[in-house]
Amino acid sequence: MDSLNEQFGQIYDQYIAKIYRFVFLKVSSQEVAEDITSKVFLKGWEAFQSPKTEIKNPGAFLYQIARNAVVDHYREKGRAKVVSVDASPQIADPGTSAQDKAILNADIGVIKLAIQKLKKEHQDIIIWHYLDDMPINDIAQLVGKPAGTVRVMLHRGLKDLKDIIQES
Amino acid sequence: MDKITEKQLIDQLRTLKDIKPRQEWAVLLKSQILSESKPEEVFVQKVGNWEIGKFIESWKLVIENSFSRRLAYSFATLLFMIVGVFGFAQLTVPGDLLFPVKKLAEQSQASLIGQPKIKQDVATLNSRINDLAQVAKAGRTDSMPSAISEINANVKDLAKRLKDNPTQDAQTFKDIAISLKTLADVPGTDLSANPDVENLYQTVVQSQIADLEKTTLTDEQKIILEKVKGLYDNEKYADALEEILLISK
Repeated sequence: MDSLNEQFGQIYDQYIAKIYRFVFLKVSSQEVAEDITSKVFLKGWEAFQSPKTEIKNPGAFLYQIARNAVVDHYREKGRAKVVSVDASPQIADPGTSAQDKAILNADIGVIKLAIQKLKKEHQDIIIWHYLDDMPINDIAQLVGKPAGTVRVMLHRGLKDLKDIIQES
Repeated sequence: MDKITEKQLIDQLRTLKDIKPRQEWAVLLKSQILSESKPEEVFVQKVGNWEIGKFIESWKLVIENSFSRRLAYSFATLLFMIVGVFGFAQLTVPGDLLFPVKKLAEQSQASLIGQPKIKQDVATLNSRINDLAQVAKAGRTDSMPSAISEINANVKDLAKRLKDNPTQDAQTFKDIAISLKTLADVPGTDLSANPDVENLYQTVVQSQIADLEKTTLTDEQKIILEKVKGLYDNEKYADALEEILLISK
């Protein structure tokens, strides 16, 4: 029992920041991101304890729960995915000065908004590859598509993102 | 916005790595989640690539589970046996193998209730009188000496306690008187000549006479009391007690 707690504790430590960021970039606020992330890890823990579920890749499993949780969130609330630019993200960077933080927040706000305007499948792939440093092959496994297709999607996603930012 | 290169875009994307959850929230969430366990379902390890851990953990759980189950069964069996022995012991009479268990149960019960010692002695005497009556009724001559011996021991204890603490309430003396009357009525047994029993009779009668002398009596009761005193003087304590019980009615 202790060992199971310990194992999930390690998985939690490894993925909490990634899952939170993944969710945060898709929703409107820190509160919503925290709420959804809590649900993701709670579901993950329940599944982890259940003898009926076998989890081969905890990361992929948590990301899948997170994707579904975000979809459920928008479905339940009936909200549009477009959010206000005013929704500034929480940045954990205690070494940054207030001015730098403001500039950084502004940049992050712009890029976050641009990501949210992308197609959902492009959003996920860009976050995983450029923010979580996930290799293309792992992403391919996660989305169940060939690595070549993922590369093309990544390229198209980046192009769309660039267009959105330049248009803003 | 000016045109940006792909590299600049990727650099901008990487700034999003600065997004992190609040530390205190993350710590709190972890402790909350991990406290929500379902121990009854935990038998199998979940992470497929941790095969050694899985093997060790599975065996650990099997051993722990099997040990706890065995312990639980043993405990239940032991409990069942104890309850059975104590239950069966209630049917025994002096001389039977499990009779000491019955005595032990009676003593424990009396201690748990917190009865005064004198009341415990009276209750025990009544139990032993019941045992003697059962033995006499069943014609178990082999158990008769043990039953009588138990009564003698109880009577001796009771007499000693009364001697040490002569100021007992009237009800206690009345209860003892009734017990002695019951004892005298057990067919086929006459213990009135037994020195211990006789001693107890004497103590009880003496106390009852003293009690009655302080009470307002009818003329008829006064006559009986005088008769009781005469019997007491003639050391006919059993007969005196019979008369006292008549007044008490």
